[in-house]
Amino acid sequence: MTLEIKDLYVSIEDNLILKGLNLTVNGGETHAIMGPNGTGKSTLAQICMGHPSYKIESGDILLDGESIIEKTVDERSRLGLFLAMQNPIEVPGVTNFDFVKAAIQTRMKKDEHLRIGRFILKFEKASEDLKMGKGLAHRFLNQGFSGGEKKRNEILQMKMLNPRFAFLDEIDSGLDVDALKLVGQNVTELKSPELGLILITHYQRLLDYIIPDYVHIMINGKIVMTGKEELINRIDQEGYDWVKKELGIEDLETKPYSLGTCPSKH
Amino acid sequence: MEMLNFLKDNPYLIAFDNIETINNANIAIKDNHLTFNKGNEFFVFLDNFDKFNSLNFTIKKEQDIKIYLITYQSRKIEIDYNFELQEKANLKIFTNFSSRRKTFLNANLKFTLAKNAKLTVLSALTFNGEVKLNETVNLNGLNATVDIDLLNVGGKTSKYYVNQDVFHNEKATISNIDNWLIATDQAKLAYSVSGSIQKGKEFSKCRQSNKGIMLSDSCEIMVEPKLFIDEYNVEASHGAAIGQMDELQLYYLLSRGLTENDARSLIISGYINPFISLIDNKEIATQLTSQISRLIRRKAYNE
Ligand SMILES: Nc1ncnc2c1ncn2[C@@H]1O[C@H](COP(=O)(O)OP(=O)(O)OP(=O)(O)O)[C@@H](O)[C@H]1O
Ligand SMILES: [Mg+2]
Repeated sequence: MTLEIKDLYVSIEDNLILKGLNLTVNGGETHAIMGPNGTGKSTLAQICMGHPSYKIESGDILLDGESIIEKTVDERSRLGLFLAMQNPIEVPGVTNFDFVKAAIQTRMKKDEHLRIGRFILKFEKASEDLKMGKGLAHRFLNQGFSGGEKKRNEILQMKMLNPRFAFLDEIDSGLDVDALKLVGQNVTELKSPELGLILITHYQRLLDYIIPDYVHIMINGKIVMTGKEELINRIDQEGYDWVKKELGIEDLETKPYSLGTCPSKH
Repeated sequence: MEMLNFLKDNPYLIAFDNIETINNANIAIKDNHLTFNKGNEFFVFLDNFDKFNSLNFTIKKEQDIKIYLITYQSRKIEIDYNFELQEKANLKIFTNFSSRRKTFLNANLKFTLAKNAKLTVLSALTFNGEVKLNETVNLNGLNATVDIDLLNVGGKTSKYYVNQDVFHNEKATISNIDNWLIATDQAKLAYSVSGSIQKGKEFSKCRQSNKGIMLSDSCEIMVEPKLFIDEYNVEASHGAAIGQMDELQLYYLLSRGLTENDARSLIISGYINPFISLIDNKEIATQLTSQISRLIRRKAYNE
């Protein structure tokens, strides 16, 4: 069980974001990806899922040795890919329950059908585990959810769908201290040889609850350094400057620029 | 008379075609005039009915009435429906104008509200052919209130020309219009929605919202919202959001494995459900849902 990202170049609206990214995740492994804002972390997760706005310029994404870049978004999901999004989308009028039910039904074989009673129990258990409250099932998908509720709802879906490879994109943002612990526990419980996890985060606190096997630092569209837990600590305390310095990475932001002809009042 | 099955033996059925009248509900009917003086839920069914050029409904003072007005036609029909709501009358009316084949409907729905009358209109339009519909509401009495929700699902080469006009002719009158428009194939939906508050009719509120999804490249939805306000001390607002299906919503559902067909139909049902849930009668709601899915299942989902 492997997910391999090979020398991947990805652009959005003619801006090159990923610039030769390599990453291999095996079943049972947990990888953390850290890096400054705008460096392409979400782009990586979205392109693996097949987001329509991003374009692969070159490189490949392989699931168990087979390229998935020609597969549609839903096919990738049914092959076992999952993305807990940084900004989960609101879908008015569609209840959480109907949505998750449809997502499960689409994974069943032609002659199978959903045992609704069992499904309801599983759904209720999952929302209880995440302290989502009873009314959740019949609320519209993410609509009016608080930031933290949206994030918990992503993990609820993950629990229901049993993916093989899951990207969790800043699942810790918007969570209060208790919720963070809860989400951490829930994700840790899901760990198994049948699941590869890719955690995108800015902060150490998430990684206190979900212990990663590898920590990658991503800058300017590629992974520039890979290590273990000691990296997390250092980034938490010192930021990324030392990485850039050590590797001689030019900061794109510090290029001199002119203010040009900004209108000004005299 | 060709009748919807679930209505046949309904004790509150009133049905017309040009030959016979069925009045299970025992309502006072004189020629083309129906008078409602006992609170209840009534089903008015019209099969190709145009014996008169108008059908008139009076809701007596303080009566609480629900009417499901369902019309079926297989030829061109032109007719006016007039509703008079007396003081403190409360009418909740559901209308569904349907055609058995491609044809033409020209209908004027006119509502007149006295003091403290309350009107709720749920209009479903799933017509095959061409519709010219005028909904006119006169809020003539103090505190008269109207709430209109309209769901129009247009497919094939259907054309809908709909005018909605609300006149706030008295103080402290309230109107609320929500239109939900869905077009596919080559359907064309043209709406003009207007609210008028005359001078001196202060403390009135007039609000409208128009939402539309276009499911094909060759369909059209046009909405012209208008507010004519001649008084300062009022609240008035309008909004329109017409566009394609939201690509990010679609992506989100796909990313959980729903096929494109399933994802699209779930989003569309999410759009329709809030309207359907306003319909109290289960059978009427089910009938409408299946009408709609017949209309949009085929083409809308594979574009
Ligand atoms: N539609 C777009 N058009 C142009 N540039 C875009 C678009 N969407 C994203 N970008 C740019 O792509 C770059 C990478 O964005 P991405 O969301 O992958 O960053 P990130 O590493 O996840 O950042 P953060 O830590 O802030 O979430 C950013 O500079 C962003 O501005
Ligand atoms: Mg991001």
